[in-house]
Amino acid sequence: MTPAARNRLLVLATVLVVGGALLALVLTSFTDNLVYFQTPTEILASAQRFDGRKVRIGGMVRNGSLVRTAATTEMRFVVTDDRANITVYHRGLPPSLFREGQGVIVEGVWRAGAAEFIADTILAKHSEDYVPVEMSEQGIAKSRESLLKTLR
Amino acid sequence: MLNSVMPIEVIEWGHFAAVMALLLAAVQSLTAAWGGWYQQVVWVDVSRRAVWAVWLLLSVAMASLVVAFLQHDFSVRYVAEHSSRALPLFYLATALWGGHEGSLLLWAWLLALFAALAVWRHGSLRSPTLPLPSLAALLAILGAVVVGFLLLILFLSSPFQRLWPPPTDGRDLNPLLQDPGMVFHPPFLYLGYVGFAVPYALAMATLLTGRLYDDWVVTCRRWILFAWAMLTTGIVFGAYWAYYELGWGGYWAWDPVENASFMPWLTSTALLHSMMVQQRRHIFRTWNLFLIITTFALALLGTFLVRSGVLSSVHAFATDPGRGVYLLVFMAVVLLGSFGILTLRSDRLQATVRLPSMVCRESTFLFNNLFFVAAAATVLLGTLYPLAIETLSDSKVSVGAPYFNKVFVPIMLAVLLLMGLGPSIPWRHASLAQLRRYFLIPALVAIGVVPLIWWGLAIHNGYGVIAAAIVLFVVMSHGGDIMRAYWRSTDRQFMRLVLRNKRRYGGLLTHFGLLILVSGLVGSGLFKQERDLVMRPGDTTHIGAWQLTFEAIGQRSQHNWQADEGRFSAQRSGGGASVTLQPQKRIYQRSPQPTTEAAIYSSWREDLYLVLGDPAGDDGAWTIRIYLNPLVVWIWWGAGVMILGVGLSLLDQPRQRLVEN
Repeated sequence: MTPAARNRLLVLATVLVVGGALLALVLTSFTDNLVYFQTPTEILASAQRFDGRKVRIGGMVRNGSLVRTAATTEMRFVVTDDRANITVYHRGLPPSLFREGQGVIVEGVWRAGAAEFIADTILAKHSEDYVPVEMSEQGIAKSRESLLKTLR
Repeated sequence: MLNSVMPIEVIEWGHFAAVMALLLAAVQSLTAAWGGWYQQVVWVDVSRRAVWAVWLLLSVAMASLVVAFLQHDFSVRYVAEHSSRALPLFYLATALWGGHEGSLLLWAWLLALFAALAVWRHGSLRSPTLPLPSLAALLAILGAVVVGFLLLILFLSSPFQRLWPPPTDGRDLNPLLQDPGMVFHPPFLYLGYVGFAVPYALAMATLLTGRLYDDWVVTCRRWILFAWAMLTTGIVFGAYWAYYELGWGGYWAWDPVENASFMPWLTSTALLHSMMVQQRRHIFRTWNLFLIITTFALALLGTFLVRSGVLSSVHAFATDPGRGVYLLVFMAVVLLGSFGILTLRSDRLQATVRLPSMVCRESTFLFNNLFFVAAAATVLLGTLYPLAIETLSDSKVSVGAPYFNKVFVPIMLAVLLLMGLGPSIPWRHASLAQLRRYFLIPALVAIGVVPLIWWGLAIHNGYGVIAAAIVLFVVMSHGGDIMRAYWRSTDRQFMRLVLRNKRRYGGLLTHFGLLILVSGLVGSGLFKQERDLVMRPGDTTHIGAWQLTFEAIGQRSQHNWQADEGRFSAQRSGGGASVTLQPQKRIYQRSPQPTTEAAIYSSWREDLYLVLGDPAGDDGAWTIRIYLNPLVVWIWWGAGVMILGVGLSLLDQPRQRLVEN
């Protein structure tokens, strides 16, 4: 083997080793960090399958369901897709777009059979082309529909 | 028809100009192709002139839209959707890029401008750097890209659409976009994206004409540097805006749209380095062509992801499948065409030189490129995988930020380490003596500080300590390099030394900027503190070295919003700063959604960042979120230094011919 050929082999081997290590790093951390997005109906239908996994649940904050515990940052509310409901507990400040009747995504570890879903993150989703005040009534109804569709 | 009763406004002239621009861009592309193929100068000359006409016409189109905004012409749908009578003048003039239709027009206009500049710089018919067939190919390709964008703008996403009867007032610009950061973020990002169009076209011209495989990197050097600087600025502005405006205390969330701008940055950074190797050593030829094609394709992908609405985030404003499909087809044509030609020509691209040894500057660049491209692939996987899953199956997944952090941090640390080696290690072959002379002391010092930080400062954070050691290593090796050059120089004049070799010292300055930026990322990423709590007026709390007192809550209003405003006094212990912070919760008149205005006290040491939540009970209590983010300003300053470095590098006069080895 000439020195040039040996050298080329050495470079190639290093590239392969480093590249392989990177690939392994990507693959191992990728599957661990996939977060499945579910509607309340879906997650209740396969409650056991997601037990102990990190999930995102998307739906509407049901009107009248938001309860804040006085003098703490604790809150409870119901996420609904009009068919199934999930009570969510969260401690901390929700994003400013969060409110009743709006779309929301809550993220946390799913415990099958638990009374409430403990969300460690709340993402409020504002309807894409946000609605002007005038056309609120029907507009909001419509955007809610499209929101539920995009949330799917 | 409605049109008959609509008055002819300025906007119609703009619309007409845009249609003419489309036709002329087609003329530009076709005449150039014809003239290039049959070697007829006169047709190429027609194309050269068409370039300017396209740019002028698109300028008229842009101006008409700006005028429509300034005149509150709500008969223009785009104006009605993105402004209102109450919108301040500053935002009125820049609302042009507040939505996708206008931003696409900005894209096309910039592209036409850059095509015109390319003709001005390289387009003389007897140019020594660009022979006729290459010039023709350049014009044909740029013309085709302009046509592609104008078709999209005029037929699928027109900012010129009219509404009749016009509404009395507009919907107003999204409140989140009413911020200076947002005014500058898109234009800079687009300057970066579009800036890669000219190098892409030049590279393709090289491939199509089959000559000068090393010259395009010389011709493109300043274009690529410029585009890279703009892209960097655009990304940092976006991060800055997110930090100040969105009120969640961070600047980067691995949001798909952020990723979309980051991927071309990663591949173009790889290109910036590897093109130096091609220029000096005539290797990496195919690789560099691959990189520029990939970078431009990723820039298109960035536009596609943001503007098609396939991604839902703060950036995506509407969903329109037609537009998405068009952009997808557009991208497919660019990718298949470019890589097809690259494959066909690859036999001619064979380098005459091989990588000379394992330990040399070439190989540090090789690994630099490997890491950057791996990083880009990592981000691409995390960004596109959810889209693919959603298209192929019914379930929807997202890839969490932990994935990106876990993969990205080690890659970037490796890149930083290489950064310490690259500029000092000799080309071709480095001897052991040279390595010892250049790197022994920096390496020993870097390893030496590890226990010092771990036990001395009691900072038990693995990544933090490793990052600090590597940063120190790079500072020492770069510093040593500059010192040696200084002592070697005959006149011992530091400024003269720098000005004699602007490219090199521009590059090193950019590296120093990156080190400052990385320090900021490490500090704020690993050591930030966060606290949510309920406070009543009069309450006091502590975070880090700060004592924070909630003084009062009140109301405040301005032309198009009103707000609840808290007043807090903060005192840093040990006789430090004493400041008043006033975070707000704002309601804009024409938007039902409240926005938070965080109050931030910045110093070189840390940012105290305060967010007002919601009322919590009847006794004036509010929920409050406090962040203590160390070293955040280092990120902004580091980016500034990086741009200065590029500026210094750009001052260097381009070399007309290759330095033959």
